[in-house]
Amino acid sequence: MTFHPKMAYDATFHKSARTLEDEGPPFVYTPENRARFEEIVKRYPPDRRRSAVLPALYLAQDQAGYITANAIRYVAGLLSITPADVEDVVSFYTMFHTKPVGTFVVQVCRTLSCALNGAERVTESLTAKLGIKPGETDRSGTFTLVEVECLGACDRAPVVMVNDAWHERLTPEDAPRLVDDLRARGEAAVSGCHHVIEQRKP
Amino acid sequence: MDTVTLTIDGRRITVEKGKTVLQAALEHSISIPYYCYHPGIGVDGSCRVCIVKIEKMPKLQIACSTVCADGQIVSTQTPDVVEARAGIFEFLLINHPLDCPVCDKGGECPLQDYSYTFGPDQSRMEFARRTFDGEGVRADVDFGPTLMLNRNRCILCTRCIRFMRDIDGDAQINIIDRGYGSEIATFQEEGVHSLISGNLMDVCPVGAITTRDYRFKSRPWDNPEAVDTICTLCSKGCNTTAWLRAKPEWAKGASLIRFTPRFNPDVNGYWMCDIGRFEYHWVESEDRLRRPLVRDERGVQQPASWNDVVSRLGDRLVQAREGLRFLLSAHASNEEFFLFSRLAEKLAVAESARGPREDSESSSAAARASGGGAPRAVNNARGPREEPAPPTQQLRWGGEPGPPTRQPRWGGDVPLISVGWRYRPKSQPEPATFRVPPVDAPNVNGARSFGFVGGTLADQVAQADLSAIRAAVEAGQVSALFVFDPGPEGSIGDTEWILRARARGVLPLLIVQGVLLTDLARAADFVLPGASWVEKEASYMNDQGRLQGVSRAIPLPGEAIEDWEILVKVSVALGVPLDYTNAAHIRADIATRFDDRKGFEGLATLEFGRPVAAQNWLQASNPSERWKWDFMFQDLPPVKGAVDPLAVPMPAGVIPLREVK
Ligand code: SF4
Ligand code: SF4
Ligand code: FES
Ligand code: FES
Repeated sequence: MTFHPKMAYDATFHKSARTLEDEGPPFVYTPENRARFEEIVKRYPPDRRRSAVLPALYLAQDQAGYITANAIRYVAGLLSITPADVEDVVSFYTMFHTKPVGTFVVQVCRTLSCALNGAERVTESLTAKLGIKPGETDRSGTFTLVEVECLGACDRAPVVMVNDAWHERLTPEDAPRLVDDLRARGEAAVSGCHHVIEQRKP
Repeated sequence: MDTVTLTIDGRRITVEKGKTVLQAALEHSISIPYYCYHPGIGVDGSCRVCIVKIEKMPKLQIACSTVCADGQIVSTQTPDVVEARAGIFEFLLINHPLDCPVCDKGGECPLQDYSYTFGPDQSRMEFARRTFDGEGVRADVDFGPTLMLNRNRCILCTRCIRFMRDIDGDAQINIIDRGYGSEIATFQEEGVHSLISGNLMDVCPVGAITTRDYRFKSRPWDNPEAVDTICTLCSKGCNTTAWLRAKPEWAKGASLIRFTPRFNPDVNGYWMCDIGRFEYHWVESEDRLRRPLVRDERGVQQPASWNDVVSRLGDRLVQAREGLRFLLSAHASNEEFFLFSRLAEKLAVAESARGPREDSESSSAAARASGGGAPRAVNNARGPREEPAPPTQQLRWGGEPGPPTRQPRWGGDVPLISVGWRYRPKSQPEPATFRVPPVDAPNVNGARSFGFVGGTLADQVAQADLSAIRAAVEAGQVSALFVFDPGPEGSIGDTEWILRARARGVLPLLIVQGVLLTDLARAADFVLPGASWVEKEASYMNDQGRLQGVSRAIPLPGEAIEDWEILVKVSVALGVPLDYTNAAHIRADIATRFDDRKGFEGLATLEFGRPVAAQNWLQASNPSERWKWDFMFQDLPPVKGAVDPLAVPMPAGVIPLREVK
């Protein structure tokens, strides 16, 4: 549709400096994920399909490692909503990554209880140990360090979450040890170690 | 109607059950500010500025989402409300740039107005404001083909998001990121692509969303003029306001600067489409016809005076009269349709008086079957049409003595008057609640009322059917074709066939009365410059069969004159004079002749807007935002000749203005 030659229609003035979502390769669910998606979406009334956006995005993230623009379009198509609606959700939650991340995503809580208990020091020690700043991934693609908001374990602050598991009362001194442990034992170290740490600390 | 009675600021107010406190207050001119609430897109409850105190409720409540209840006691002026409200305004202005003089919304901005009235008079913000790409203009980004977005100014009221979701039906706008980092965006910066995107400028309560067409072109405090009118670019007939730039008449440049929708719950609600909003530049463009043109012996179109043109046209037409046919655009108003029908009728009468030839058996039988011998003026519109045509569809030829049983031999079956329009379905998302109809002309229903097009007022309009006239022109049966097209280029529909007939030499005489130098006008022997819809007072009947009038906003260009005047001149030259002296006279005549015809009720008393200073317009129009306008312009230097606002008695309930230092 064009209105008049005199109107500055379709002229480009400025683009913002914002980084757009990574387009990524073409995205479709694997057959297993597709089956799981159909399973999940059944839990919602047919006119509320859009409510399945979070599980649908988790599936996509599990499959591709992070959320790409193509994955957003794919999920939007499945749920009959617009990509803008899905991007809204993706950009709101820190749990969704829009860039490739390492095997271990180390998430340091920076909200009040943890902050008062020295979360910033934890971040600093992790930064020193891994040689990366919050938001970055190390060169080997093993670790990604991010700062997140309250992880819901404020009574055992400061809290660090590695992938899906908490590591509580993690002092700045413990943090490098956790990294070593993850390096040495891999996935096995992701969960459980917090109990050890917790028991050791009064 | 169920009602509830509550007390707001000591006034007992009775409102319909189910209304919110905010609606009740606005209806009774009690000032409560609001941003996220918009009467057209509903309640969101995110901005909190509509905060009020309601007795028996533990905390202050937001008026926009609290439903009125019997006996509720609401106060909007107690110290705690005033303080809380000022606090909210302080927060709203934490990141908002305080540079209203360079903002495109300045002067008509609810944030500005409300902050002056309810906000704190000083900012305590000592830290750097959140800016996007940098200070100032670089926060301005593309927001689709028609809009720009200034992210620094956005107050995250989410009106634009909800407009796209609920009215447009395609949620293209979202909020990305969270908390302090939130910003309005579209997926991958694709921008807003919608046929009704211009409304986002109206719903945005700040200068964040602006239209590329209007931004930085004018200022409300320049005291422009505003005219309430309607849009005629499709059959919907949205109620609009035309804004005129404040400039002396001799100054260069266009005077129309924008169109904005005007609330009409029965037609367009609060909205209008982008075609109606942005497609007005042609009115004052280079292509406008400004002088009558006549083709001379060498085949070149030469400007001539009206008298000259009309007398020469008369000479040519009198010879060609028997084969004269009219092709009208459905952009013609009721008045113009009426004049054409009168003209055709008088010509038919004169023609049969001159020496009627016997009809062939079949055609008079057909004339009897269609319920009388009136000249056949119904063009065979495709689509729903009953046979025989219902009585309202027949052209009633006034009270003239005429040949009651004979079809004048005007080239057999070809209707005297055919009506054309462009049919162009618009692609809009499925759930859109504001839909733009496919008919790009305002008055197909008017043509139906006059019997030029079949179908009843309530029927869907389909493609125009010009096959009869087209076949006749192509077969060389039409000696003169009079085309009337007061609409934008192309809105009459396809006219290629006329050009081809001209090129083949089978159409000896082509007369074009219109507004633009189109290819058709270039091919014509006579070009008669008329008025566009913003240059005349005229009435149209929209697709609901509703009679509405356009108002005169700007003067006619050059030597162009109003179309009814042209037709009166032409009728005189043809020796069948029509004796109308102004458009109101024509309307009165239609009203008396068609007093039984559905749709013409109130035609004689139709009211038309006049250009008024925007300041007065703002007070008289737009009831939904009425109280806001009541104190607009308060802090501006007095306009020359304007009334001192403080001298005007204040309506009850309006908060007295604070002096702005
Ligand atoms: S851009 Fe305007 S309408 Fe949209 S959220 Fe911001 S202030 Fe509200
Ligand atoms: S919908 Fe039709 S009448 Fe309304 S603004 Fe658009 S073109 Fe004009
Ligand atoms: S504040 Fe860190 S877990 Fe809640
Ligand atoms: S208008 Fe009531 S919260 Fe925004």
